[in-house]
Amino acid sequence: MHLPHSTLKQEFVKKWIMGLQRCKFSNKKMSIFERKKAIKLSADTAMASARKGLTCWSRALISNPDRPVPTTTRRASSACKKIVKRSRRIRRTAKCGAARKGQITRSIAQCLVRKRTQILKSLIPGGEFMNEVCLIEETLDYITSLRVQVDVMRSLASASARASEPHN
Amino acid sequence: MESNAGTTETRSNVTVPDGGEVAAFESLQFTDEIHRLISAPGTDNASSFTALLELPATQVVELLHSPESVKLIVASAPNVEDFKGSFHFPSNTGLIQKDARFSVFSGEGNNKNEKSNSPEMTSKNSSANLEKAVKSEPAETVSSLPLVSDPTMENRNIKRKDREKKVKGSTKKSKTATNERLEDAEKLPYVHVRARRGQATDSHSLAERARREKINARMKLLQELVPGCNKISGTALVLDEIINHVQSLQRQVEFLSMRLATVNPRIDFNLDSLFTPESGSTMDGGNFPSLVTPLIWPDVQVNGYRKQFQHQWHFDTLKQPIWGREEVCNNYVTLENSLLSCDSSANSAATLHANQLKMEL
Repeated sequence: MHLPHSTLKQEFVKKWIMGLQRCKFSNKKMSIFERKKAIKLSADTAMASARKGLTCWSRALISNPDRPVPTTTRRASSACKKIVKRSRRIRRTAKCGAARKGQITRSIAQCLVRKRTQILKSLIPGGEFMNEVCLIEETLDYITSLRVQVDVMRSLASASARASEPHN
Repeated sequence: MESNAGTTETRSNVTVPDGGEVAAFESLQFTDEIHRLISAPGTDNASSFTALLELPATQVVELLHSPESVKLIVASAPNVEDFKGSFHFPSNTGLIQKDARFSVFSGEGNNKNEKSNSPEMTSKNSSANLEKAVKSEPAETVSSLPLVSDPTMENRNIKRKDREKKVKGSTKKSKTATNERLEDAEKLPYVHVRARRGQATDSHSLAERARREKINARMKLLQELVPGCNKISGTALVLDEIINHVQSLQRQVEFLSMRLATVNPRIDFNLDSLFTPESGSTMDGGNFPSLVTPLIWPDVQVNGYRKQFQHQWHFDTLKQPIWGREEVCNNYVTLENSLLSCDSSANSAATLHANQLKMEL
């Protein structure tokens, strides 16, 4: 079960190291932010190419690797609170039977879900163009790839930190 | 290991038609690869991403702009199974092909059908299970349906639905009904829909219901993947958790890349020095705690997810014998295990060490 996880990891590491090797020859002196950007860029591209074009997000990431850093998403909760307040007002004013109440709650739930799918679409690369089914599949894939990326980067960082210690 | 390399090789041959460089690439051993990469001088100075990906530009364009990609997806339908063993993840075209034959959902439906047809079910409990199986089976067949609007088929469906509605009452009859339905399923070449009792039967709502079932199935898989989602009920909250998880993973990547940039002045990380002391060396457990505890771990978010990663890493250690020759990954795994085992005390030491590093740089 976790064997494909390891093959994905190997793929990613191979491609990432290749990418970093290439970066080395382009520019000798880089500031720390440029280095960080280069590292992240090469890592993202390596991860996307490790999927070999099977998934939509990987293709979108390859074509547009510079993504803005995700900042805040608490807009959704505030919007949902407004929706809930509005629905409470409606419920108070209208004398409704059980069926209408069910309808109202259903519409509220739909609103919430819609807001969240919009946010998810903004998070996943290339997500704005997918329908819901594809979005969920892409999210699954994207999450596993991100985990692989984080694991590899973390182990590499710890390994290099460990290697640099004896030099002190 | 050999089989693993073999399968990856075949997979790569199927999916990437360009093949030449990539297939040869994957057939080599891992550490040898790394050493080769390190020692080889940079041949082309192009820092374009197409060069990065070892694909010619035309291939990349093809990959991005469709019909090739569809072929890739279809060709790699078995590949997708490896993605995570606990669920089956066929592509849409694969689903349609399967449906044309059997009208049963790929993995889980088969299991449930087998369960329902087992002759052991005699007691009341088993009959209740059978009812559930009967009810879930129609749900699954509905979910496997693409949009079909054939009037004759609909008539047949309606007849079957009527039969099904009559049958719902008694358990014995339902058992025979499942048998009949399965026989019908295998005889008929096209997919058929089963509506549950009291639900609309026109094609639009059926299609809508099929779509919703598909989405719900995928959401269940997502819930299993994201830690802490199993107990939450309700789509909006689950989506909230998923969004949080994705965001935290992205932020971790950002942070880790920053950390890698600070730790190493050279961008290729002095790979020689990293790998040569580690390859073939005996990693005794005594050295590890002392080396590992002063490591940086200032991001609080990361600690929260470490426990889940720990779970994954335990499985990886079990799989270690397969990686026999890949010593680098082996080292990563043992490193990670020691990292995760000597845990929470790193925080206070971590901030101190972070400051020290900054001063050194």
